Amino acid sequence: MNRTTIAGVGRGAVVAGVWLAVLTTASQAQLTPRQILERVDANMTMSTARVTAQMTITYRDDDDRILIYEAWAQGTDQSFLEFTAPARDAGSRFLRLEDAMWIYLPRVGKSVRIQGHMLRQGLMGSDFSYGDASENPSMVEDYDAVLEGEEMLEERRTYVVDLTAKRNDLAYQRRKVWVDAERWVPLKEERFARSGKLLKTALLSEVRRIGDRWYPFRIEMDDALQTDTRTVLQMLSVELDIRVPREVFTLPYLEGGE
Amino acid sequence: MSRQRRRIPVLRLAWRNTRRNTRRTLLTVIAVTVAVTAITFMFAYITGILGNIVNSYARTESGHVRIRKDGYSERERLMPVYLKVDRVSELLSVIREHPDVEEAVPRIRSSVLVDGAGTNRPGMLLGLDFERENAYLNPASMAVNGTPPRAGFPEVMIGDEFAEKLGIGVGDTITVLGQTAYRSLGGLRLVVTDLASSGMSFLDNSMLVVPLDQAQVLADLPDAATEILVFAHDAALAEPLAVELRAQLESIVTGDLEVLSWLDQGPLMRTMQMMRPMLGVVMGLMLLMAGLIIINTMLMTVMERTQELGMQAALGMRRSDILYLIVSEGLVIGLIGGVVGAILGSGVGIWLEHTGIDFTAAARGIDLPFQGMVYPDWQPAFAVVGLACGVLAAGVAALYPARRAIRMAPAEALRQ
Repeated sequence: MNRTTIAGVGRGAVVAGVWLAVLTTASQAQLTPRQILERVDANMTMSTARVTAQMTITYRDDDDRILIYEAWAQGTDQSFLEFTAPARDAGSRFLRLEDAMWIYLPRVGKSVRIQGHMLRQGLMGSDFSYGDASENPSMVEDYDAVLEGEEMLEERRTYVVDLTAKRNDLAYQRRKVWVDAERWVPLKEERFARSGKLLKTALLSEVRRIGDRWYPFRIEMDDALQTDTRTVLQMLSVELDIRVPREVFTLPYLEGGE
Repeated sequence: MSRQRRRIPVLRLAWRNTRRNTRRTLLTVIAVTVAVTAITFMFAYITGILGNIVNSYARTESGHVRIRKDGYSERERLMPVYLKVDRVSELLSVIREHPDVEEAVPRIRSSVLVDGAGTNRPGMLLGLDFERENAYLNPASMAVNGTPPRAGFPEVMIGDEFAEKLGIGVGDTITVLGQTAYRSLGGLRLVVTDLASSGMSFLDNSMLVVPLDQAQVLADLPDAATEILVFAHDAALAEPLAVELRAQLESIVTGDLEVLSWLDQGPLMRTMQMMRPMLGVVMGLMLLMAGLIIINTMLMTVMERTQELGMQAALGMRRSDILYLIVSEGLVIGLIGGVVGAILGSGVGIWLEHTGIDFTAAARGIDLPFQGMVYPDWQPAFAVVGLACGVLAAGVAALYPARRAIRMAPAEALRQ
């Protein structure tokens, strides 16, 4: 009887263990959309970053254009970007502080502040807008999310999350994001206008580990309204959470440089 | 015994008849005059409006023939400066040698961002050869105050409404950012030397005019332009000229130019051409209305004389003679009214052709190449057509009452 009990207890423990395992898996699978976004934000939003990248713009009926830039970013709303190649574009600089952006061209010798819809123009004619290139917004703060399901993408398990903007002034009122379920990096994204019209498609790949984060080293962007181009951004070097000189994000630095 | 046919001096009789009741005649003559005046003037007026749009479009947009890089038309909205015409000076000298060519001018058109007094706005930058443009876009004629920009200097003339929105004036410096031929970002600092008012709202609201060389610096286009506009001695030569230039330029710049006559550049001008027959229909309706007024008046005039006509028939006047007489009366009245109307219509047309009709206020709201002043375009043919219509309508109008009169038995006519 006791043995039975013991045996019974033993079986009960085994059953309980199995249930616990099932429940744990289920609870991970049942992340709320908000939790998914929080994990993406935690991985993708860094305190500071320094990136050198090569931007290749491919034209349907012209030679490719290759540009190289160096960028600094701090938090979600400060960034500085300077083109270093080719020679004719070297020294063109862009400073983003909150909602405003300044452009400095060596030939003009004075910065110009651009606002509003200008931020949606292509950066140096690429498929990335000035906004795309300079913003690093928090998804949780800006969007309401709905989990559409899971999909395999490039042999990675992804959560498909549908985002709807909380504010009217965001460049993309709806986004559909395929989030890597283990590394919390978006692998694909479709960005839409309020009307539901597809504006951009981004494919993120070559995800590498930097410290305790995962970072995509290749971003392919296609602006649906700019039909004859495609732009690939290849990160050449990425440093995250490093010390950034404070003066980088100032107008004197933009205009003076050093 | 053969009865000799009496010859009735119908025309003289008709003329005399018109003077019998001057009030009646005057009424009919006035009806014809008003109708013919309206026809003559309206022809000149409508031709003037169509001419205004076509001419404004040719001068500002299309030329008679426009030469651009192949594929530009499809991307026109974006004003892509990377779609450029190279070796412009060589092409220009070849084009100017063509006997049908009055002038050929290079232009650079670029979509830019203009930074004025702390605000910026998108604008349209036009790089022009100021001297050669005098008879065409004619920037000097748009100047409001100041001096036009000089070639070789970073100077700009800016649409007056645009300047107001930017909060700038003559003497201020603006920064202009735009695309370069290599599709990157170029910029220029320019001093505003002049404000422009063209009367064409789409220009005054967004236009910046700079010397060609400055636009070439901004867009990185040495010896290149985004278009060459060709003006023929006569707009009617445009289509064959485009064909000839295409063949000629092919041998210099192989196969990558788009050479289009003004009629082939977008639907607007084709529509305008199609509007001419449509306006013909409108004019036809106007003629019909004028004819009805004349008919109505003639009808009244003849009906009034039923008794008299019955009397003439009873006295043995032949029916054909009566018919002939009444129609002749109609023709005489038509001729008098027609001549007066044609003279009046032509007079008004020619007068307004010189003074113009000011539609500046109305033109501000429309996004068409349309100059505020409309100058009717009077041509002798319009007076002839007006006159012919008046005479014909009066003659035809007299037929019905005349036939009605002669069909009546003399006794019945006398009773009425």
